Amino acid sequence: MIYLDHSATSPILPSAKKAMENALENFPGNASALHTPGHLAHNLIEEARENIAKLINADPEEIIFTSGGSEANNTVIHTFKNCEIFASAIEHPSILEPAKTYAKKLHQIPVDKDGVINLDFLKKSLKNTAKNTLCSVMLANNELGTIEPITEVKSIISALKSSDNIYLHTDATQALGKIKIDVKKLDIAYLTASAHKIGGPVGIGILYVKKGAPYQPLILGGHQEHGKRAGTYNTVAIAGFGAVAKYATTHKTWETYESEVRPLRDKLANLILKNIKGSALNTPLSLSLPNILNVSFAAAEGESIQLYLDMLGKIIVSTGSACASGDGKPSHVIMATRNDAEVAHSSIRFSLGLNTKKSDIDAVMKELPNIIKNLQGISTIEVKND
Amino acid sequence: MTKKCTSTPKTPAPWVYSEKVKEHFLNPQNFLMGDEKKFKCDAKGIIGNPICGDQMLMMLKIDKKTDTITDVKWKTYGCASAIASTSALSELAKGKTLDEALKIDAKQIADYLGGLPKHKFHCSVLGHDALKAAIENYREKH
Repeated sequence: MIYLDHSATSPILPSAKKAMENALENFPGNASALHTPGHLAHNLIEEARENIAKLINADPEEIIFTSGGSEANNTVIHTFKNCEIFASAIEHPSILEPAKTYAKKLHQIPVDKDGVINLDFLKKSLKNTAKNTLCSVMLANNELGTIEPITEVKSIISALKSSDNIYLHTDATQALGKIKIDVKKLDIAYLTASAHKIGGPVGIGILYVKKGAPYQPLILGGHQEHGKRAGTYNTVAIAGFGAVAKYATTHKTWETYESEVRPLRDKLANLILKNIKGSALNTPLSLSLPNILNVSFAAAEGESIQLYLDMLGKIIVSTGSACASGDGKPSHVIMATRNDAEVAHSSIRFSLGLNTKKSDIDAVMKELPNIIKNLQGISTIEVKND
Repeated sequence: MTKKCTSTPKTPAPWVYSEKVKEHFLNPQNFLMGDEKKFKCDAKGIIGNPICGDQMLMMLKIDKKTDTITDVKWKTYGCASAIASTSALSELAKGKTLDEALKIDAKQIADYLGGLPKHKFHCSVLGHDALKAAIENYREKH
């Protein structure tokens, strides 16, 4: 199998598996308990917290464990209930949906065709904001890989008279491990991250909350995480997250992504453009994470492409087509960048991992051109010569 | 007396659709590759919209004496279930009289395919409407 869906979930890293097996076998106690097994589990969790904090240059006490990125995003939005919230139009649904529910007013920041947010819009509309306003802009987009200009967003906020009222959150679920992240340099109030996009287990994430930033727990009913997130500690998953965080820091995975994965991704992009009629990139290569490539194929529908790749070549990718989505709608990201449902329906996301090889790219190019040619051949839509 | 449980746990299916859908998706029948002018038909009908994600074109050859569909070709822009259901419809329609073909509905196509996921039913099983449009178009002219 050629797995190119790492941005959906990345297969477990050996070090994470080992750490989880260790936790499962040797740390059975409830980490909140005062007895020895409880205390040992607690120590294991704190070690993981330190490793995760180190990866993003945070202090360990600024890390709150959650059930994943979606809960972390919901928590930060919920903290700003009845406040004004600014969020990019291409945020993950776990930002946009709760923001629609909880915010006094949701201001969606428009993006250009590459998915980069409109800084002028932000500059104009952030003026005269009320007390406790949240601005949430993802560090990198999950469908396109586009890296957002968070430093510029912070500069815009800092230059405003009302800067003390505006808190900046970034969803770094996709960016973690792929680019270097330093919460102190970014000078943000909140950051979301998740383990399973970098080889950790699903079901565990974190919310970084800068000391002094407003916070309201989403889940009540327990003293865990100093009352900030109730619920029995998921020791096994936390140990797995800690192990992948340590792996990323030790190996500086972002350097490997840059030196090895990016050239492969760019090679795939160029081969597709050269060999497949009607192909167009949705990912801006120079402005994006090194591992994501989103491409549309005129007159060929995404779910069909995805399933032919799976069935014929054992090649695993994802699509922004409505046919493959749970809600029957085309990708809101492609709609925001291209405003064209056909482009969204025909979009395919390849997301590479640290173990992706040149032979994987060759395998894609062995199958993909014929699949697209056949789908275009039986399509009711004519492919224009461009 | 306690009953012994003899059933073995089922391996989860690796494919979201039925085997019959898979068969028609991987080996679609009666499709037309390339320019539709290649197939000289007596009637054609198109339904759906690429904006919605699915569009089907049905083309029929009809024996005027017997009012029977002697050959069918189709083109589809759509997902796996759209391709499979259009292919299935082409098999169902071939050899039928026009009156018989008009009776083919979405349920019949889905049944022929061994069922389709609920959320796929209305958007991808549109072929029979294209078939109806083709027959109506033919009858207006003849």
